[in-house]
Amino acid sequence: MRIVVAYKWTCDPEEATVRADGTVDWSRAKPGLSAYDPVAIEVARQLAAETGAELIGVTVGDKGVGAPLACKAALGRGLDRVVIVEDGSLADAGRSELAAVLAEVIRHIGDVDLVVTGDSSVDVAAKMVPTVLAGELGWPAVAEVTSITGQAGALRVERAIPGGVQLLEISGPAVLAASADAAAPRVPGMKDLLAAGKKPVELLELAALKVPQRNAVMTVTGQAVPERKSRKGQLIDTADPAKAAAELVSALRQAGTL
Amino acid sequence: MDFELTDEQQLIREAVREFAEAEVTPIAAEIDRDHRFPCELLPKLAEMNLMGMPYPEKAGGAGADYVSYIIAVEELSRACASTGVILSAHTSLATWPVFKFGTEAQQDRYLHDMASGRRLGAFALTEPAAGTDAGAGTATATLHADGYALNGSKMFITNAPFAEVYIVFAKTDPERGTRGMSAFIVEKDAPGFSVGEAEHKLGIRGSSTPPVYFSDCRVPREALLGGEGDGFKIAMATLDGGRIGIAAQALGIAQAALDASVAYAKERVQFGKPIATLQAIQWMIADMATEIDAARLLVYRAASCVDNGRPYSTEGAMAKLFASETATRVAGKAIQIHGGYGYTESYPVERNYRDAKITEIYEGTSEVQRMVIARSALR
Repeated sequence: MRIVVAYKWTCDPEEATVRADGTVDWSRAKPGLSAYDPVAIEVARQLAAETGAELIGVTVGDKGVGAPLACKAALGRGLDRVVIVEDGSLADAGRSELAAVLAEVIRHIGDVDLVVTGDSSVDVAAKMVPTVLAGELGWPAVAEVTSITGQAGALRVERAIPGGVQLLEISGPAVLAASADAAAPRVPGMKDLLAAGKKPVELLELAALKVPQRNAVMTVTGQAVPERKSRKGQLIDTADPAKAAAELVSALRQAGTL
Repeated sequence: MDFELTDEQQLIREAVREFAEAEVTPIAAEIDRDHRFPCELLPKLAEMNLMGMPYPEKAGGAGADYVSYIIAVEELSRACASTGVILSAHTSLATWPVFKFGTEAQQDRYLHDMASGRRLGAFALTEPAAGTDAGAGTATATLHADGYALNGSKMFITNAPFAEVYIVFAKTDPERGTRGMSAFIVEKDAPGFSVGEAEHKLGIRGSSTPPVYFSDCRVPREALLGGEGDGFKIAMATLDGGRIGIAAQALGIAQAALDASVAYAKERVQFGKPIATLQAIQWMIADMATEIDAARLLVYRAASCVDNGRPYSTEGAMAKLFASETATRVAGKAIQIHGGYGYTESYPVERNYRDAKITEIYEGTSEVQRMVIARSALR
């Protein structure tokens, strides 16, 4: 059995700042594994441990995703090897473009029985890539997956649905997005981290993958940020609650809020 | 000159920090308050391969470099100084002499179990009347037909009574002073070995440091570590490395105090604005950050000397002297920044302050470090 974990190497938004014009400054944000991807790796690692499957990490993106530190950070989590497309042209790629490249990488690897992804990426959080990737591959996509058992061609999947859990059996390859709490990510041990640098890293050229040309190209041409209103800084003395409430209602009416 | 950590060292810092925040930080205040040795952490530290980081994998260790080990002690101590010293005493003081001076048979019997964390180790050198003057110890080891009989007592023994293997120093020839001191590996169930009541300490209260007693304690001849008379040399060589571990512990305490101070200064509002905007606070934060950075450079430099096979006695002494005194100063300023709240158990800086002081004392006082440094400078 061959399991692929599609992970993202990106910056943590908590370390980014928003400029006055509303754009985000990522320059001081430290890159790392996207927050929910260690969960996906752990879910896949547990299945691989049960089935003896090969566990392959895949990521595609801008310069830096194939840096030795990035590879070791992913491999240290328990992946057997990683396959990476690192290309500056992917810096501003949309979800559909990234999914198309991922699909080609998975075809390049061949004989993949299962793709596991995180719940969403920490920077964009669009939750689109698993579905679009599945569409590219012609495989089923399941989100909010809490458990994966079974083996190649006979997967048993649990997913969270409103008010309960749904049990699924999947007879072929699939793309499964692990829920954010599907597993507690294991902190890598020292031996895992020291062994990571000895594991195989395959860097693929984007041009060599023959990713199909997109019929429609989407470009961000501008953006608007809501005008920030200055606060009035009006303080209400709450010593007398009834009087304070009346004063608050009056102030809100005056401001046109009520 | 390269000041960058390797990829592995950076990842080890992140992983140990993640582990410490998940497993150590949540119990740090409680084990301090209750003077409780955190037994439950030992298997977790072992699972992370943290109990024998600088030893080869075939010896049960993680095969990491010394800088990585020091980073791990720093990060654990940032969360809990008691946990930092439990690990450091086990790795640097108890396991290292077995790794460095043990016979093949002794290594087969102890090294793998200690480096993998299956058996906890302790180092028994200090005596009631022999602290800094370690050579003045009066514990004796008398050779008999079937081995040695140890008599005497040791005190402030980190990790006792939870340790299973003790490196014990005793005089085989008291007339010869330090040259008559020998080192022994003593197992916890050796007849005549016992552990006293735990000390009630100012800080590092999660670290157990009771006295241990030897009353005609019988050990086989094979328990002798090195040759007869090598004990003082083994003790001093071991402490040279151990000091770097304590320097890393001090560094972690100082960093914790700074982190808490920065967070508090940004949140605490006085005179209508966060106190971080006040120059008085900014200057304290600036001094703390600068001193910590200088300490870190000294500590990592000393560890790097170990990795590169260079002498590290003076470098280790400088690192410990500066990092330990920095920790006390920084933790004191952290309380000052926190004001009255900093004096209470509601904030971690009072624990940092109490924990910091011991780093100026154990594994060689600041005065001993200055002696080592002066001897080197005046050579």
